[in-house]
Amino acid sequence: MKAQRLEEIRPRIQALEAMPAVPAIVLPLTAMLHSPDQVDVEKVIDLVSYDGTIAAHCLRMANSPLFGRRNTETVRSAVFALGLKRIEAILLGCCLNRIVPPDKWALDAVTFWRHSLGCALVSRKMAKLIGYPDPEKAYLAGLLHDLGILVNIIACSEDYPRCIQAAREAHVALHRGEEEHLGFTHCQSGKILAEQWHFSSDVIEVIEFHHDVAAVPTCGPLVSLVHLSDLLCRLRDLGYGYYEAMGMDLAGDAAWATLVGHYPALATMDLARFTMDIDGAMEEIVAVVDAVFKP
Amino acid sequence: MADLASAKSAKSKTESGAEDLRDPAYLKIRDMIYQISGIYQSEEKLYLLASRCARRMSAVHAKTPAEYLEHLTVRGNREAELRLLLNEITIGETYMFRSPPQLEALRSVILPQILKAKSAMGFKRLHLWSAGCSTGEEPYTLAMFLLEESEKMLAGWTFDILATDLNDNSLAAAKAGIYGEYALRSTSEALRRKYFKPHDEKRLQAGEQLKSLIRFERVNLNDDSKMTFLKGMDIIFCCNVLIYFDLGSKRKVMQHFYSNLLPGGYMFMGHAESLYQVDDRFHLVHFPGAIGYWKPPVGYTGGGKP
Repeated sequence: MKAQRLEEIRPRIQALEAMPAVPAIVLPLTAMLHSPDQVDVEKVIDLVSYDGTIAAHCLRMANSPLFGRRNTETVRSAVFALGLKRIEAILLGCCLNRIVPPDKWALDAVTFWRHSLGCALVSRKMAKLIGYPDPEKAYLAGLLHDLGILVNIIACSEDYPRCIQAAREAHVALHRGEEEHLGFTHCQSGKILAEQWHFSSDVIEVIEFHHDVAAVPTCGPLVSLVHLSDLLCRLRDLGYGYYEAMGMDLAGDAAWATLVGHYPALATMDLARFTMDIDGAMEEIVAVVDAVFKP
Repeated sequence: MADLASAKSAKSKTESGAEDLRDPAYLKIRDMIYQISGIYQSEEKLYLLASRCARRMSAVHAKTPAEYLEHLTVRGNREAELRLLLNEITIGETYMFRSPPQLEALRSVILPQILKAKSAMGFKRLHLWSAGCSTGEEPYTLAMFLLEESEKMLAGWTFDILATDLNDNSLAAAKAGIYGEYALRSTSEALRRKYFKPHDEKRLQAGEQLKSLIRFERVNLNDDSKMTFLKGMDIIFCCNVLIYFDLGSKRKVMQHFYSNLLPGGYMFMGHAESLYQVDDRFHLVHFPGAIGYWKPPVGYTGGGKP
């Protein structure tokens, strides 16, 4: 197999910005959420109500015990229950979902979103547990860490099924299959799109280095946090949809050492209990993903 | 699965009386059980705990979870009551092939690792130990698993299983190896035909090939003199046994297990059981769907991948 070089597909990735399927509300809404002035919540509610799918997703999430709220019946109460940061994350998830044409999903869409949302939830949970100051950022980073997989699915649609096949047969992580058949990984291609879309620098770092924390230039905690959440998800049936033969001594992981450096309380964390909590939340994670992302 | 059926009916019951589940007494009971036994129920699985408590509550005529919590904490018979509750919680945990993720971790990660290390030293023999084997479901499962691998990765290897329990009645049943539908519900037709023979209309009996791999022995895990001699183990299974031990005896048993294991060996516990703060020389290793405890080889300095 001739390895395709990253530079050859760069223009294809950059062209993704022009994808037609990005919902009409995204640009005004993200502009509003990031404006330096105070956000007008009423306008956000109006915009969310305008897109039926996104409104439905917000309601479904607001009603999930995972987000600690029940019996939310209106878009208004959903927006208040979820908070603006989470609305933005939902929005991004929906947009990303729509940039992949239904017939191109080489990796099953539900599997992908189950993994992404699972990673988002675990990242947030871990962030709260260790005292990371911005759990919603951890959530967003978890949700987007595999952005490059979407990029590869679209930009390398001929070769991508082979990557998945190779990884599945060898029971190894997906990026190993990408290295073999593409010559680059979703970490690299995801970074290109993330830069193009002006994601914040620490989220870009997560996208680029979540499989190689030892190479992170800043040693920031966010990428270590998402790296571990990603592993935990793949170990708890929220992975790429096939069996990965791995045994992971989390406490011996380089990312763990980084995190313990930032948050000493982690050293005494009960990892088995934490894992069992994730196991317990799995059913609900799966239900939310199925409700939100099932085509 | 009977377990699942009862869980479902418990769930529908609690849905009609949802107040019940939100009773903070359940969280207190959950945390207490975790501290004492190491068995953990996540918040989403509290309905299971509630249904197990419900049976004990009606036995002791406790009207509310808070009242039952009193039975577990301040009443004179609290220790006996806790034991009865633990029995309820672990009920239905024994049948063959109870935990496929553990076996899959053995097949895809642990055995390849151990076989490689051992053959480098010229060894071709494996020792497994089912500590607290109860009525034998676990050792027979391991025996079938090893035999199935004997023509694949275990070709040229010999292996045996030590199965121990404190209870003479359980051991006698384990030795007889006679099982009905409940114990065999996850055992495929092919494996049944290959390794069992008919016993009566409803039950099957383990055949000689299985039995010849297993050595049954009465062992009290608290018996230091006996524990000291069970050396050279590659993998130890000890599921839902230590939950009845207090922290001091638990630590002692784990010290024994640690020295009974060869460097690079693994220990597995029940699926909701944790060793937290019992023995930190063991490394907690995550496998897909399972957690194992690892005795690192001499000189291991971390690096994530055992």
